[in-house]
Amino acid sequence: MAVSPVLSPKPNPPGTKATTNASKAKALAILNHSRSVSSPIAPSAATTPGDGGQDLAEQMNDEVRRQFVSGSRLGEGTYAIVYRGHFRSDPSKLVAIKKMKLNAEFKDGITLDSIREMRHLCELDHPNIIKLYAVFTTKDQNISLVLEHLPRGDLEGLWKDHSIMYGGADIKSWSNMLCQAVWFCHESRVLHRDIKGNNLLIAADNTLKLADFGLARGFADPGRPMTSNVITRFYRPPELLLGSQHYGGCVDIWSTACVIAELALRDFFLPSETDLAQLSVITDVFGIPTETDWPGISSLRHWEVNFKSAAPKRPQPLSFWRQRLPLLGDDGIDLLRGMMAMDPAKRLSAEQVLKHAYWTNYPRPTKKEDLPRQGDGEKKMGEDLKRAGGELESGRTDKVARKLNFG
Amino acid sequence: MKLTEDDLYRRSSQYKHWCFTPSKLALLRQKTNIQASERVKANVARQRAQRAKNLDTTSASDSERANTPGVENGADGASGNGGAVGDKEVDCLTVAEEMRLVDKFCETALELGNFIKVPAEVTATTIQYLRRFYLYNSPMTYEGQNIARATMFIACKTEGWHIPSSDYAAKFANVTQEQVLAPEHLIIQALRFNLEVRHPFRGLKGAHVELGEMVKGTYVPLEWDKRTGTQIQSEILKLPKRAGGAPMNLSESDFRKRLEYDYGVASNILKTSAQLTDTYFHYTPSQIMLAAHLLADEPLTLFLLATKVPPPSPIYSKTVDTIRACAAKLSSHRSYTDSSTSLEDKEARDKKEKAEVLAIIKKLRQCRDPDKMDLVKLNEAHKRDAVHDGELDERKAKRRRLDRENAQKEADEFWGPELPKNGAK
Ligand SMILES: Nc1ncnc2c1ncn2[C@@H]1O[C@H](COP(=O)(O)OP(=O)(O)OP(=O)(O)O)[C@@H](O)[C@H]1O
Ligand SMILES: [Mg+2]
Repeated sequence: MAVSPVLSPKPNPPGTKATTNASKAKALAILNHSRSVSSPIAPSAATTPGDGGQDLAEQMNDEVRRQFVSGSRLGEGTYAIVYRGHFRSDPSKLVAIKKMKLNAEFKDGITLDSIREMRHLCELDHPNIIKLYAVFTTKDQNISLVLEHLPRGDLEGLWKDHSIMYGGADIKSWSNMLCQAVWFCHESRVLHRDIKGNNLLIAADNTLKLADFGLARGFADPGRPMTSNVITRFYRPPELLLGSQHYGGCVDIWSTACVIAELALRDFFLPSETDLAQLSVITDVFGIPTETDWPGISSLRHWEVNFKSAAPKRPQPLSFWRQRLPLLGDDGIDLLRGMMAMDPAKRLSAEQVLKHAYWTNYPRPTKKEDLPRQGDGEKKMGEDLKRAGGELESGRTDKVARKLNFG
Repeated sequence: MKLTEDDLYRRSSQYKHWCFTPSKLALLRQKTNIQASERVKANVARQRAQRAKNLDTTSASDSERANTPGVENGADGASGNGGAVGDKEVDCLTVAEEMRLVDKFCETALELGNFIKVPAEVTATTIQYLRRFYLYNSPMTYEGQNIARATMFIACKTEGWHIPSSDYAAKFANVTQEQVLAPEHLIIQALRFNLEVRHPFRGLKGAHVELGEMVKGTYVPLEWDKRTGTQIQSEILKLPKRAGGAPMNLSESDFRKRLEYDYGVASNILKTSAQLTDTYFHYTPSQIMLAAHLLADEPLTLFLLATKVPPPSPIYSKTVDTIRACAAKLSSHRSYTDSSTSLEDKEARDKKEKAEVLAIIKKLRQCRDPDKMDLVKLNEAHKRDAVHDGELDERKAKRRRLDRENAQKEADEFWGPELPKNGAK
């Protein structure tokens, strides 16, 4: 039981005082703040047969849908097409409307991706996590997520764009926003399970936002197995590569560290061609842990094939890190190595990460408004689309993870 | 730098969209009932008028007539006389009757969960989805059978227990994949796309662990609490068995048995009466958890509470009041039994309930929305995007007749001794 379960508020919902805002308004979901809604009992279109046979829920859905105007296409991913849009009431308030594709291969209705994204984004409200304003379905039963509009591309695009110069203070600033997002997810008992540069989008005001919750899930109860086939390969921690089915926030911490290293390197930190190769790329840097280094490692499912008769490997010394990641400084390197402890039990938690001296040491993280940024976000997205052809490059051949049916 | 359970709960969609004062909840249900009733009446009237028109030209087949609610029993006695058709108002369900049915659907979902062997959380999520769904929909419009099954399928997906729909459908007799999937959008829309349900189960486990530490003497009190772990241990071991009872002095191992027993009782309450009542709409998960624990062991629960909030504080007494009110709600449910309930009482109660529910189901047969009987066809129509309810042409209506009759038959079976084939556990 966490700190004070009993202090829980008596859940009189927000806005109870407003007498006109009765139950319907409440149900009008996420963003109906500005509308005034008639008393639910009062005769209205909803209570007469002249409603065209629409259910109350359908009417509410239509009302939500009507609050947005959808425009041109912003981009297309494997699972969705994203459109530019805005609030009907305020055309200056932009949104991104992510229309989930119907997956012909998936015979089980609404895809797990959509389900996970809806489930978790509805609950997560944090400045460094993409905001979900509303959800609606269209007539053809496509689910659309109305998301915060984030026009400045993604973090991977940013380090790849060599017209942009940045330094250690900028890296610290982006990394910190990322770590706050991860901390908030974990405090909310949500595992993201797909942290990587191109799932980190940048807002018009340079705020970094964690997006794409299509693989997320809640923390499992102890003992309940989860799939180990998650997280894009370059960012996948050793325990998952070894087949562990019991894990926690530590898997996201590893990925987060990979992203930070990537920013400092302006290249992928641990790229490889196959899952097997991924493990050897990792051990080239971190060595092969023994049962003493990592108690329990030898009972992981894929330990035997990978490590049982492998020649011992020693971890790289500090000098290797200093030479590869000079932009991070010794404190940054210390943080990174703490986040990349091979044994997940020894890895820093998100909370410990945020308490690390790196953040408060010199140089101070760059203020958001002073961060370097990609010029024309929208044009950049067009390039992203072209880039999508070369998926191998970003390690995105792992689509298989997404298709798994279990949690 | 820690978010408390409270912080988290206050940000949840459950708090923002699914918590109601009792009067708000009643109002919402009334609204849903009014709308559904009017629609049933309008649709039945339209059907009757259509039939009357047909009678003028050709004569309607018997089965066509049987298709209109209220006609089976010759209620409108409309043989051959078009003018008299539709005179009799359909007798719709009241809000109270609807709620009895929803409770029945939820109980069925409980059995369903046991049958297909999903974890308690999945079943509980299913039931809360159902309760939310029926805030905006009436059983007159959408009958529980298909909805409960489809809802559990969705809950399996949201809780990470996805089963392929073909396998899922195969667990039941005469259920197709399409039937499982057809109402999905309907349901998820009524859920306002809020798929996370916050349950009290995890909190109960936490409390159990913490009480264990207190008994062992290893519990570290909060800052304001000046007692040592050992003091707390000796106090807890002296707690009376029931409120107002004489102090005891149990051994550590005997007390551990008491904890296990309490946990079992509370856990059972959370899986049953917490699901089958409106508690989730009115109380937080931790309040529900403490209320269930209070019913299991009052002195111990109050002791636990007093390690969280100092008893002199007004928050303490307010919390106790809230928890007691919640406990009263939990214990008011038929499924709740304590040592004073005899088996005979319980059986009599169940029997009475069953008879009453059957009577409502009989009534429901006369007032179902004729346009919403076959969800598979309705969904296909939706997808084709062409058909509005109320505009189904005659030919389609006829084609749908058989399906509808089948749907009704299945609906009847739903209430029989039932559960699915290969029902052996
Ligand atoms: N909130 C947003 N604001 C602005 N543009 C966005 C937003 N979300 C997505 N986009 C654009 O739409 C494109 C598609 O997004 P989406 O998240 O569906 O796919 P992806 O992450 O690129 O690929 P994948 O589906 O393979 O993960 C992105 O590449 C991005 O350019
Ligand atoms: Mg993505």
